[in-house]
Amino acid sequence: MKNLSIGVIMLTTMVLFSSCQSQPGLGLNDAASLHSRDELPENPLLLHAITSGVQPKDSTMYTLYGNDAAFIYAGSHGDSSYPDGAVLYEVTWQQQADEQWAGAHVPKKIVYVERLEYAADGQATYTLYRGTPLKKAAAANPALRAGVIAGQRMAVSP
Amino acid sequence: MKKKTGIVSLILLAIFGMLQFFRPEKLSNSPAGDLAGIPPAVNDILRNACYDCHSSQTNLRWYDQLTPANYLVYSHIRDGRKVLNFSKWDSMATPAQNSALYYALNKIMEGEMPLPAYTMVHSGAKLKPADIEILKKYTFSRTPRGKTDTVQINMANKEYVDFIQGKLAPVTKVAPAPNGIDYIPDYRNWKVMSTTDRFDNGTLRIIFANDIAVKSIEQHQTKNWPDGAVFAKTAWKQQVNVDGSVSAGAFWQVEFMIKDARKYAETAGWGWARWRGDKLKPYGENALFATECVSCHQPMKDNDFVFTKPLNLLIPTLQNK
Repeated sequence: MKNLSIGVIMLTTMVLFSSCQSQPGLGLNDAASLHSRDELPENPLLLHAITSGVQPKDSTMYTLYGNDAAFIYAGSHGDSSYPDGAVLYEVTWQQQADEQWAGAHVPKKIVYVERLEYAADGQATYTLYRGTPLKKAAAANPALRAGVIAGQRMAVSP
Repeated sequence: MKKKTGIVSLILLAIFGMLQFFRPEKLSNSPAGDLAGIPPAVNDILRNACYDCHSSQTNLRWYDQLTPANYLVYSHIRDGRKVLNFSKWDSMATPAQNSALYYALNKIMEGEMPLPAYTMVHSGAKLKPADIEILKKYTFSRTPRGKTDTVQINMANKEYVDFIQGKLAPVTKVAPAPNGIDYIPDYRNWKVMSTTDRFDNGTLRIIFANDIAVKSIEQHQTKNWPDGAVFAKTAWKQQVNVDGSVSAGAFWQVEFMIKDARKYAETAGWGWARWRGDKLKPYGENALFATECVSCHQPMKDNDFVFTKPLNLLIPTLQNK
C-alpha cells in the first residue's frame, strides 16, 4: 500500500513537471536581424516600411524603410525628389524557405544595407553597408543604386 | 470469478449489438475520378491519403461502419468534405486549385493530415517522405513566377496614382468584418515584424506589429502574446518586372489578428478580420469565417497561432545612436 502511494505521488509529480515544461515556440528570427556590432547610424528596422520586393535570380528579398520625412513624402508623391532630411534604407536579405509554410520565403540573413540621406540641395548621399558585422563598403555604382532606391513607389494601402 | 467475467462480457456484447440499430445519417457516396491535369503519381497519393474524407467517394471499411465509431467517422468525413472536396476540382479556378493543393501539402507536412486517428486504423493512407516530396515538387511547379501582364500593371498604376493623390476609398466608410471587428486604419505607422514572399499565391507580405506587440518582441515574449497585441498582415500582388525582379503591385488585402484571450476565447484568443481590395471589402459571409482562420493557423497552436517569426527589433547599440 505504501509502495503504491509513493508510486502515485511520483507519477503525479512527473505529470505536473512535464506539463510545466513550456515548448520554446518559434522565438525571434535573430539571424535575419541586425546585431550590436553592425556599424549603422541607426536601426532601420524601426523606421516606416515603404515597400518590399524580391530579386529571384539572387534569392534575395528587400524592404525599403524611411524616416518620417521620407515616409510622408513617398505616400503623397510619385517622384523621387525627397525633401531635406529624408532618409531611406533598403535592407536586403538572403531568402530561406519558410519553415512554417511550404510556398513562402522569409528573410534569412542581411546581405547588405543601403542608406540614402537627402540634403537641402536635393542631393542624396548613398552609403553601402556590407559584411558581418555590417560596415561601410565601396559601392560599384552608387548613382545607379541611389536612383533605383529612390525610384521605388510606396506600396499602396487604402 | 470466471463466471462473473463471462456475464459482463455477454452484457457488453448485447449492448454493442443493440447499438448497431442506431446509425448516423447515411453518407452520400459517388465515384470520384482522377483530378484533371494532375500527374498519375500525384493523383495516386491524393486518392490514397485524402479521398476518403476529401472527396465524394469514401471507401468505408467494415470497422468504420460499426456504431459508435461510425458517428465519429461520418462526422470527420462531413467536416473534411466541407473544408476541401477534391470532387469539386473541375469547377475550381486555377488559383483555388493551387490554394487547395498548398493547403493540403502544408497540413500533411505539419503532420496534421491525414488525421493520426485515421492512419492508425488505415495504415495504407500514411504518406512516406518520398510521397510528400512528389506532392511538394508538383505543387511548387504549379506556381512559377510569370511576367505580370499589361492589364494588371495598368490597374496597379491607376491604384497607385489614386493612392498618392488621396483618392482611394476613405477609411471612415469601411464596413466592419462580419464578426463585428472594425477596420484599423493606422497600421502602416506600426513597426515591421517580418516580410514574406508568398510564391504559392503570388503575393508579397509585410507583417506589421502594434506597440504592444513590439514591446513583446523586444522582451522576447513571443510564445504567448499579451492582450492588446495586434498584427496587420498586408498583402500586395507580386508584380514581376521585365528584368525578373518582383515589386509590390496592386493592394490585395490586409488581415488583422487582435489578441484578447477572454473576448475571443472561442477563436483561439484572437480576433480575426480581413479586408480585400482597395475598396476594403470585409471578408466572410458571417462571423463563422473566423473558424477558417483558426483552422489554417491550427498547426501553430504551440506558438499562440502565429506563423510569423519576428525580426529582433531591439538592438541597444543601434537604438542609442
